[in-house]
Amino acid sequence: MELRLENLTKIFTNKTGIETTAVDKLDITIESRTLVGLLGPSGCGKSTTLFMIAGLVKPTGGKIFFGEDDVTKLAPEKRGIGLVFQNYALYPHMTVYQNILFPLENMDVPRDEAVQRVKDMANLVGIGNLLDRKPSQLSGGQQQRVAIARALVKKPKVLLLDEPLSNLDARLRLQMREEIKRIQREIGITTIFVTHDQEEAMSISDKMVVLDFGKEQQYDAPQVMYNNPDNLFVAKFLGNPPINTFEAEIKKGYLTINDKKFMKFDIPDGLYDIGMRPENFRVAEEGGFEVDIHNIFHIGRDTMIHFDFNGKNVRALVDSDDIVHDQKKVKLTIKSERIYIFDKETGQVINHG
Amino acid sequence: MDKNLFLKSNKIEKITLVFDFLALAFYIFAFFALFNMLALPEVVDGHMQLDTLQFMLPIYNLLNVTFDKYAMNTMITLDMLFMLVATPMLVTNIKKLKNRTIYEIDSYTASAKFIQGIINLFSLNIVSGVLRIINMFVLVKFVKGYNAKEFFKSIFPAIKAKFKQWTTKKEKIDESKLDEYSISIKKSIRRQTAVSAIRISFTYIFLIVMALIIIIPFYWMVLTSLKDFSGSTSTNPAFFLNISQMNWVNYKVVLTEMNFGLYIKNTVIVAIFSTLGTVITTILAAYAFARIEFKGREVLFSILIMTMMIPGELYIITNFITVSKNGFGWVGMPTGENSYFVAMIIPFITSISYIFFLRQNFKQIPESLYKAARVDGCSDFKYLMRVMVPIASPTIFTITILNIFSSWNAYIWPRIITGVGGLEGQQYWLISNALRDTAFVLDNGRVMYNLQIAASALVTVPLLIVFFMFRKYIMNGIGRSGTKG
Amino acid sequence: MADFIKNVKGFFNKIGSAIKKFFWDIRRRINNVKRRIGNFLDKHNLNFASKFPGWAKALIYLSPALIVLAIFTFYPIINSFALVVYQNYNMTNDTITGYTIFGNFLTVITDDSFIVPASHTGSSAVINTLIIVFISVPISVLLALFIAAALNSIKPLKNFFQTIYFLPYVTNTIAIGLVFAYMFKAEGGLVNQFLSLFGMNTENLSWVESGAVFWRSMFVLIFYSIWSSLAFKIMVFLTSIQGIDKQYYQAAAIDATPRNRIFSKITVPLISPMIFYILVTSVIGAFKIYNAIVALFGVSGQPAGVDYNLQSIVMYIYKFIDGSNAGNLSVAAAGSLILFAIILVLTLVQMQVSKKRVHY
Repeated sequence: MELRLENLTKIFTNKTGIETTAVDKLDITIESRTLVGLLGPSGCGKSTTLFMIAGLVKPTGGKIFFGEDDVTKLAPEKRGIGLVFQNYALYPHMTVYQNILFPLENMDVPRDEAVQRVKDMANLVGIGNLLDRKPSQLSGGQQQRVAIARALVKKPKVLLLDEPLSNLDARLRLQMREEIKRIQREIGITTIFVTHDQEEAMSISDKMVVLDFGKEQQYDAPQVMYNNPDNLFVAKFLGNPPINTFEAEIKKGYLTINDKKFMKFDIPDGLYDIGMRPENFRVAEEGGFEVDIHNIFHIGRDTMIHFDFNGKNVRALVDSDDIVHDQKKVKLTIKSERIYIFDKETGQVINHG
Repeated sequence: MDKNLFLKSNKIEKITLVFDFLALAFYIFAFFALFNMLALPEVVDGHMQLDTLQFMLPIYNLLNVTFDKYAMNTMITLDMLFMLVATPMLVTNIKKLKNRTIYEIDSYTASAKFIQGIINLFSLNIVSGVLRIINMFVLVKFVKGYNAKEFFKSIFPAIKAKFKQWTTKKEKIDESKLDEYSISIKKSIRRQTAVSAIRISFTYIFLIVMALIIIIPFYWMVLTSLKDFSGSTSTNPAFFLNISQMNWVNYKVVLTEMNFGLYIKNTVIVAIFSTLGTVITTILAAYAFARIEFKGREVLFSILIMTMMIPGELYIITNFITVSKNGFGWVGMPTGENSYFVAMIIPFITSISYIFFLRQNFKQIPESLYKAARVDGCSDFKYLMRVMVPIASPTIFTITILNIFSSWNAYIWPRIITGVGGLEGQQYWLISNALRDTAFVLDNGRVMYNLQIAASALVTVPLLIVFFMFRKYIMNGIGRSGTKG
Repeated sequence: MADFIKNVKGFFNKIGSAIKKFFWDIRRRINNVKRRIGNFLDKHNLNFASKFPGWAKALIYLSPALIVLAIFTFYPIINSFALVVYQNYNMTNDTITGYTIFGNFLTVITDDSFIVPASHTGSSAVINTLIIVFISVPISVLLALFIAAALNSIKPLKNFFQTIYFLPYVTNTIAIGLVFAYMFKAEGGLVNQFLSLFGMNTENLSWVESGAVFWRSMFVLIFYSIWSSLAFKIMVFLTSIQGIDKQYYQAAAIDATPRNRIFSKITVPLISPMIFYILVTSVIGAFKIYNAIVALFGVSGQPAGVDYNLQSIVMYIYKFIDGSNAGNLSVAAAGSLILFAIILVLTLVQMQVSKKRVHY
């Protein structure tokens, strides 16, 4: 089921009349059977978007299409969606079996088929043997599986997940995000999930939407977005350790760093924001740009070195074999397509597609 | 651990429970049979000759065995005791059987079985007693690994060993070798222990004295209710009663001649319907105030809270006018046209404090549950019934209990209502009215205290039984309802 | 044998699932009908329910409660103000002889058994009630506090004592009141027997019967009132004491705080909201005392043959409805309003005082 958001807008007005735009003209088409992540910092409007798709929040403007149908004014129960809440929202007084059966009681399904569906879904998510327990007797990961099963048992057209992994501990998160991907693949349902953890989003999404203050920043596959960020915000948001950003001038066609010529670029002269990812630096065997190291950290397989570009501290991740522990200077290179030049006013990237 | 023994013990226990249940049924049946047989004084001119009650010496005949009044009293008393002991035992055993795991069996379980077996034997429940003792041996084998003969052999040495343990002197540490600091620490520890021992004993003495003050009226009530007339009016009342002197016939008199059976029935009817109505209206209203968004919700709720402060006496005056012939015409009409129960139940079928209490509880249920249910296509009403009510059931239970208690204690409103009805109204008395307004007097004007107190006991005991059954829930509910206030 | 049990169990299971299936199908059918109606209404734009969801739904849910409340709670409040200005309201004929603004209030206030006692009676409803309130409430609250603290500090037998202390709550006031009256009987009552053990001369020592002195019968009333009100207070205090975070006590223990200071400086302040709540509700409850007096002394409110009266304000009011002064509902309304005013003032005073002492 293809999901299309057309100029979706939500403006909140509080009691004193002050308006806040939570979602600003979001226009996106989500292809059928894909797993899409809504990513962004707190307050960027991602949960609001999710709830508008669910029908629990009414949009101020714009339209939502499920396939060919305009569902913008449709009540949530009529849209055919499954929603998994951040705290799972399992009915505490019912067993797992009853929790999963609950949505089917409101649908036109014969009982035998309903019971069978519950059992199948429970087995699919991996809790087939816990059907008689109550939610309080389950671990966090198990509760989440029950929530997913409950959302999917209706055979909805779209599955929505609100920060599904933020309540789990680190190790469980790794396991559960792979589970979510597996379940989504197996059923083949269009899925949207909200998260503020870019690593999580990048690892399992087919495509991601990055939002900031309600505005879409970029909509692409994760690796594409990582290597080709459209603007400074996206570049800074993705990547751990974060991308290095600093100001630099292009003088006479050359990018100038530390008052020395760094690299030739076919861009008009001026002041720009430059982005370089730590892992893209290489220690040069010959040639290269020399820098004074003022800090070295050895972290197992990598070594992080700190130096200054134009007065700003810059990190580089290099191979541990290339650096001696008390080295004072090093010569570095970086590929030109891995240098990102951003316009200072708009933040848009200039030297990439 | 031999699992087979555990299963065998459980099987024996299940059979024992069946017999326990049969025994209990028999006790109850016997009670009704004997109670029925109790002889009442004769009725002259529609008026029972109560002054002869004490001096009657009826002879009862059951299955060709004759026994007199004293034997009858003894039998009923013993029957009561058996029922009193057997019921909690049966209930706890059923619960334990369901929940006990193989890891929880130890020698205490075995000794508990033994004690219960002895109780069974004394309660004339021979089969259960024997079964339990057999079960005990099974458990002993399970726990300690030896069977009956070895068990008996081992009792004596075990007692000897324990005795020795108590009487061996403990080693005394040579104190002269310790330095000053250790000595002072030891002294202060000793003093601390002494002080806390004194404190604990004073606490217990205080609690025991208070407990006695609380419980003596109950004891005196039951005691007096079983005395005969001269016993209850003597200048030197007895503190104990012989088993054969317990006049259970007092209760029969109170139930029949003094019509307390009718009054209890009236009170039960009022309690049930009033509670039903209260629970329904409270659930609906609390849901509306907690979950449904509508304009003026907070304003309306604040108005309701303010009215909570107004004393109920104010309402009674106008309500009396409303239900009498200038209003709904439920009372104060000519005989036969009155609906006393309606007048007693309807006006108090809603209580603002219950709505407030339940609304608090509803608000604590996370809203995400509601959203999840909405997404699943669940209507408001279904959500209320299937999700909110079950989750809030402890509170609803507390409200039910509180309402039952207040119906049981109602006095002024039923009195006013039935007061205008004359003799017809008297048929609709609730127990509080009946207790106060029935004249428990003999023809010569002397008060039959034993019957009066028996009526009090009759009215008190059912609620005590309900209390003991639901003790945990009731006490927790009341405690919580107070703290939420 | 095992097979037989298995067959029986299977049989019951089948019945169980057949019943469940039955209800499921009914529900499904109802849902389908609802859906069809909903679609029909949507198509023709007739679905009013979705246009005013809040109001309509709320009304349906609130209506049972609101209707009853309107007739039996709101209307009486307004009507009381009306009643109070009637003169000689006759219930049987529904007639009045005139209006008076303060007449009924004056009748109440100047009645010699209400506030200012006439010389021969020596007591009045207001004085009686004040005595009961100001003696029984502090004693019962303090006692309950101590008992709750004591209960909290012991482990064995705690449940046993808790159950015993809770017993008075589940009783009928009148029933136990009769028992108390019997225990305080002059001739052969338990109390006199007990006192005579200490060498007191209890001959003709009357507590609630004819010949009882005012303070003796008042003592019985106060004693009974405290006895029956302890249970609720103990329960509430115990729950709140148990809710205090143990870390406070641990910190105090490290500082070597003596036990009485722990009680007065930690326990009491931390449950002070609860103490305040209990105080307010106890005062209000004690002001409305009625059933206990009826239980001990009957509807007249006095022991036989004495010249004083132990009636409370509420008993005084009720006598105008049902008792010796029956039929004069306007005066009863006036009395109730005065009672309300007294309670309101006392509550406000207590709330003012609490601002300093109650810590939230």
